[in-house]
Amino acid sequence: MTDILRIVIAPLVWLAAFTTVYALHGLVCGHAIGGMPFGTISVPRLLLVSAYALAICAQIILLISLYARRFATQSEFVRFVSRATGWTALVATVWTLLPTVTMSHCL
Amino acid sequence: MKALERHREFSRIWASAPGFKGLFSTVNHTDLGRMFLVTAFFFFIVGGILAMLIRAQLATPHSAFAEPDLYNQIFTMHGTIMMFLFAIPTFEGLAVYLLPKLLGTRDLAFPRLTAYGYWCYVFGGGMLLFSMLFGIAPDSGWFMYPPLTGAISSPGINTDFWLIGITFVEISAIAAAVEITVSILKFRAPGMSLARMPIFAWYALVTALMILTGFPPLILGSILLEVERAFGLPFFQAEFGGDSLLWQHLFWLFGHPEVYIIFLPAAGVISTVLPVMCRTTLLGYGWIVAAAVALAFLSFGLWVHHMFTTGIPHMGLAFFSAASTLVAVPTGVQIFAWIGTMWKGRPDLRLPMLHILGFFVTFVIGGLTGVMVAVVPFDWQAHDTAFVTAHLHYVLFGGFVFPILAGLYYWLPHFTGRQRFFYLGEAAFALIFTGFHVTFLAMHWVGLLGQRRRISTYMPEDGWTTINLISSIGGFILAIGIAMVLIEVILHMLTSRRSPRNPWSAGTLEWAMIIPPAPYNFASLPHVTSREPFTDDPELAVRLASGEGYLGRPNDLRETLTVEITSGKPDYHVIYPTNTHLPIIMAAVTGTFFLSLLLKAYWCIPIAVIGVAALAWRWVWVLGRKQDLPVQDIGHGIELPNASTVEHSPGWWGSLFLLVANATFFGSLLFGFAFLWTVAPGWPPPAWFDASAVELALGTTGAMVGAAAIRRARRANALRQPPLAWLGLCFAGTLTVAIAAAAITLRVPAPVEHAYAATLLVLGSYALFHASLGMLMVAFLVSRTALGFTSAARKTEFPVVQLWIDYLGVIAILVFLVVHLTGWLS
Ligand code: HEM
Ligand SMILES: [Cu+2]
Repeated sequence: MTDILRIVIAPLVWLAAFTTVYALHGLVCGHAIGGMPFGTISVPRLLLVSAYALAICAQIILLISLYARRFATQSEFVRFVSRATGWTALVATVWTLLPTVTMSHCL
Repeated sequence: MKALERHREFSRIWASAPGFKGLFSTVNHTDLGRMFLVTAFFFFIVGGILAMLIRAQLATPHSAFAEPDLYNQIFTMHGTIMMFLFAIPTFEGLAVYLLPKLLGTRDLAFPRLTAYGYWCYVFGGGMLLFSMLFGIAPDSGWFMYPPLTGAISSPGINTDFWLIGITFVEISAIAAAVEITVSILKFRAPGMSLARMPIFAWYALVTALMILTGFPPLILGSILLEVERAFGLPFFQAEFGGDSLLWQHLFWLFGHPEVYIIFLPAAGVISTVLPVMCRTTLLGYGWIVAAAVALAFLSFGLWVHHMFTTGIPHMGLAFFSAASTLVAVPTGVQIFAWIGTMWKGRPDLRLPMLHILGFFVTFVIGGLTGVMVAVVPFDWQAHDTAFVTAHLHYVLFGGFVFPILAGLYYWLPHFTGRQRFFYLGEAAFALIFTGFHVTFLAMHWVGLLGQRRRISTYMPEDGWTTINLISSIGGFILAIGIAMVLIEVILHMLTSRRSPRNPWSAGTLEWAMIIPPAPYNFASLPHVTSREPFTDDPELAVRLASGEGYLGRPNDLRETLTVEITSGKPDYHVIYPTNTHLPIIMAAVTGTFFLSLLLKAYWCIPIAVIGVAALAWRWVWVLGRKQDLPVQDIGHGIELPNASTVEHSPGWWGSLFLLVANATFFGSLLFGFAFLWTVAPGWPPPAWFDASAVELALGTTGAMVGAAAIRRARRANALRQPPLAWLGLCFAGTLTVAIAAAAITLRVPAPVEHAYAATLLVLGSYALFHASLGMLMVAFLVSRTALGFTSAARKTEFPVVQLWIDYLGVIAILVFLVVHLTGWLS
């Protein structure tokens, strides 16, 4: 079972991050949270971008652990597949949450 | 013992009851797989006839063929039947039939559950057919958006048929998914590690896990909508703090994964059949597995792309637009692996290969138009036009029907033991392929010219007449092709000559047996050392038949073994239950429950619920034994403990995955609550819940005591001490939870007045239901212990009950916190 978890963990974390950021975005807009206490950066932007950065960090840590000898698996096949899904999840995190940086929020 | 004698003995042990009557008590996966497939194909024909009615209606402007009301029923039932009663059950049937054979074992993990799922499907599908025959079929489109489907706009029983019938059918999908997951993880031939699993099994595993996490949001949505319609709890009514968008979220949270749930098994068929047609092995096995897993996850991050036109803020749209374009990448990886496989081998244009080529062309076009509609501004133009209908048919027909036809012709000799004789299939393929593209290319075009979907008529001035006529002619060519397939299959079953064994020279284990298969599959189980055991050892079938593998000695029991998940090392010995009517009776009683809801015969509901509980009790009860089983010799010097003496029996694994689905259901409910709270208009509610510290403390303590006590009971049993006192304590804890949950349901403010109170009522009922279930389970364990069915060795029921009590603890505490905290916060 741990081997199955190895394969799914990184995409699962992506899914969690993706829905969390979407929910955060919904909360920010639903409750009209705003304000610009930090110069040109608004509170929503700060929240969303931090969540984005956090998600990327989590994926990088996961990927490193998938390569680390400490958590290695017996099965070469599982090693390959889990690293492939690890990379996919990293790319997915960077790409799908990119709008936190580039788009207007709540419009 | 000679091979023939062994065959006779095993056949006697494993056979279903003879004749037609045997169908009602069979638990054999080969029978049930065939029954699933035949029933699903029947629904395909029904859905196809409806499609012909649609095309007949749209062939000319001002068509007088069907009135708008009837037309609404026709396209709704076409979509619903194709998605829920054809596509998903076809996957289930194929998996049920093939998996044990591909995995080198004798049956699926829970044979009676397979049968139960099948009968739920038949009864639920029957309800929908009935509604159609009497002209009271659902008529609000296959995604049933409120407020159109609310009690005000759709007062008739039509919508209830959909909500209740589909939920009933969904039970069968969940049952099959649990079954398939546990079977693939545990029920394989010795030596079959994860890396040696046939590729179809990987696809089926991913698909089953997606069903477990994709279907619960829809089940939740259907329950909420039905409760709204029947009792007026306003989950989707904006005037009372509900929101119709909540339905769209819940539906598409299911609906998008659904299309991959349909595509992935088909991709599994392609990955299995294509290499055989090209006389080579699959290129990039590991890449394909990774791509399937990636696809499964990404597909859960796409749902909002069906809601691009609902006014969601731009950033939200952009997330889902980005994810929707990304999902093309793992799909592309698979396509390239298949192209590479063809490159590597020598493709042979036999009939399955033709359908695979049909798949390639069609599916790639569908994928491209998919990327087009993933682009938000384009979708704003194309949304709800025939362009989208054309796109979805390219993906569904291209990505599912063509591969399934390839699979049908590939495994036909296996199903029937006969050789294809009438070469109608090639002509049929040509008609299907041409007909399909004529129909749906035209629909893209007319969609771009502005034809909306779901319209029963249009004007000559619209300028769509010629294109629609062409499209309809294409549709009828397609239908003739499908009819020819049907005729060929029937002729084939009746008249063809016997097929040699392994007619395609395939390497996977399903061909290493006599065809049509004997009920036990393998007279002895193989030891697997590669992905294509039958290629490595062409004598394998003969050696297995003569009992050279594992468990080759018939001993009056239906036996098999399980393996460790990763390595494929044998770990337990399993004895299956035999033929029984329990599944069909249980499905009928479950059906009574749904029928009482539909007919608003609420007095009957408690009777049905008690009936289901009693049957479930019996279901598990008959598995018990009063003596410890010694370790079993499975041959080749290996001895295994029986599954009733281990910590994690198949029942434990089944419960675990059922709870995964259950947790998704609960998660969706919490999501719905948060969604209404933040997004829905009409908040704050007129009255808040009157929070109570005493109830909160009582409920939480009860949950924790229950969890602690079941652990002590389990330990006591292991130490040969009587566990009854601990079980009693566990029961008391669970009862406390039930009381605290009941208190919520009794004390919520008027639930018909606001979605807030309505949601609390559902949360409380959810906890109450699980507490009652927990009490039933603990009571079961008490009776088992009192009557001597458990011992220090026969301990396996304790961990199962513990799992459910733990789950109860977690969800109950969450429910108590959510309910009481919202009361305080306000
Ligand atoms: C046999 C050939 C088929 C033909 C000629 C056909 C034709 C059509 C047409 C013309 C519509 C549009 C109805 C309208 O918007 O007024 C439609 C809708 C639909 N079809 Fe098919 N179809 C076929 C097969 C399938 C298959 C195999 C599937 C799924 C596996 C499918 C799933 C759907 C769905 C989900 C809808 C949407 C229904 C709705 O709008 O509620 N169809 N079909
Ligand atoms: Cu979608």
